[in-house]
Amino acid sequence: MSSLKNSGLRINNLHVAYEKGQLALGEMNLTLPEHGIYTVIGPSGSGKSTLLRAIAGLLPGYEGELLFNGRSVHDKETLIGLVPQNYGLLPWKTVRDNIRIAMKIARPGSGSTNRQEQDVQILHWLESMGIAGLAGRFPLSLSGGQQQRVAIARAFAILPTILLLDEPFSALDAITREGLQQIFIDNWQAHPATTLFVTHDIEEAILLGQKIIVMLPGQQEPPEILDNSAVFAMKHVDKRESDEYFEQSKRIRKVMMEKW
Amino acid sequence: MKKRHLPHLLRLLFVFAGMNVIWYIAYLLMNHSILPSPGAVYEAMFQLGARDVALNVGYSLLRIFEGVLLALLLGLMVGLLMGRSPLWNRLLDPVVYLTYPIPKIALLPVVMLFFGLGETSKVLMIMLILLFQVIISVRDGVKAIPESTYDVLTSIGASSMQKFWNVTLPGALSVILSTIRISLGTAISVLFFTEIYGTEHGMGFFIMDAWLRLDYPEMYAGIMLFSLVGFVLFLLVDLLDYRFMKWRR
Repeated sequence: MSSLKNSGLRINNLHVAYEKGQLALGEMNLTLPEHGIYTVIGPSGSGKSTLLRAIAGLLPGYEGELLFNGRSVHDKETLIGLVPQNYGLLPWKTVRDNIRIAMKIARPGSGSTNRQEQDVQILHWLESMGIAGLAGRFPLSLSGGQQQRVAIARAFAILPTILLLDEPFSALDAITREGLQQIFIDNWQAHPATTLFVTHDIEEAILLGQKIIVMLPGQQEPPEILDNSAVFAMKHVDKRESDEYFEQSKRIRKVMMEKW
Repeated sequence: MKKRHLPHLLRLLFVFAGMNVIWYIAYLLMNHSILPSPGAVYEAMFQLGARDVALNVGYSLLRIFEGVLLALLLGLMVGLLMGRSPLWNRLLDPVVYLTYPIPKIALLPVVMLFFGLGETSKVLMIMLILLFQVIISVRDGVKAIPESTYDVLTSIGASSMQKFWNVTLPGALSVILSTIRISLGTAISVLFFTEIYGTEHGMGFFIMDAWLRLDYPEMYAGIMLFSLVGFVLFLLVDLLDYRFMKWRR
């Protein structure tokens, strides 16, 4: 089992139940290789968010194993960057301070790196998201798209081992969403953290994932996992027009018709 | 910045001048020593020694600060406990519910019986007045912070202390500030009562002392100074609000 060391994120027999005993997430088995990106799509109530919350350590209890390179994901070694749907920014902190506090908590050892160096890093991440001018602003004065850029910048800035995104673009209009998908995938390619991207948008699932995990309602059947490497290998701008994209879209819709 | 504040300041001054005019008319109509003219009162005010005024104002301010600080410390602890833990909330809620409607000023004799006439009972009274309001507002303020606000910090392994300083406290601060603003008025009134007894310093003592000596201009001067103390305290809370609540604008 020498492969255990860099086997990526392994989910073994994960079950999550609500307090009353009803299942929030049925049997789940998945291996996501290190530096891989999978998208998760499914109807509401299929346990998409529950899956992310379990990995992020936000659930009080679950059954099964969550491992990263053979160790528990809740280990100190495994750093998790979370981008929630509601952006999760602290409204009383400026954009800069929101990122700074995350860096400080995530990497307490780097407290020795001085403030100036940290500021340079923060600015770098804001620049790569195209929002360098907003560093001193408070979140409530920003648009939804701007806030989501800040949230993504914050997730990348802590250099996470696992990146979890919970329908990050669902509250945004179509044009903003497409712009952010491009920015996100560019940044991810430069810093490929092991990523699970939850979405309810078929298009987004095909555009961003190496594989597409289609969750099924009812918590009874295991999810369908579709290979998407053909589309993923293309240049982002060409994906939408390709035949592979349409094929993939048809395949997902077929699963939806039959099982949702 | 300065330009925006100027009309506001002018308006305040105008209202202040207007009140003095009404006061002067009332003085002319009454023509009695129990209501001296504004001029006589201001003259009495300036004749007070600077040291005397500083001492009395200082004592009153100190007592308010101590009382407010104590109430904040205790109220924050209890309020946080009740806001974050359902168990403690269930235990303490009836206690707060039962004690909240007791008019705290009625406890003045009790507090003086237990703690004497000195400083302790004065500060304790102010604390008592503020404490329950602070507890309730901190609890509600903490409860109003959506649980999801903690998610990102929790997922990167923040400690309870880090969550307190970065989420809970700033999240509840606006409610705390408005509670202080509201209960400060009550605290100042109570301070007046407590300063009637067992002290030779403080604005309450000063006013009642002048009253006993039938020195009405000085009594009114004392009332004006006492109002000034209240006004300064209000400005202070506004300043804190401006400094910490920038994010809401």
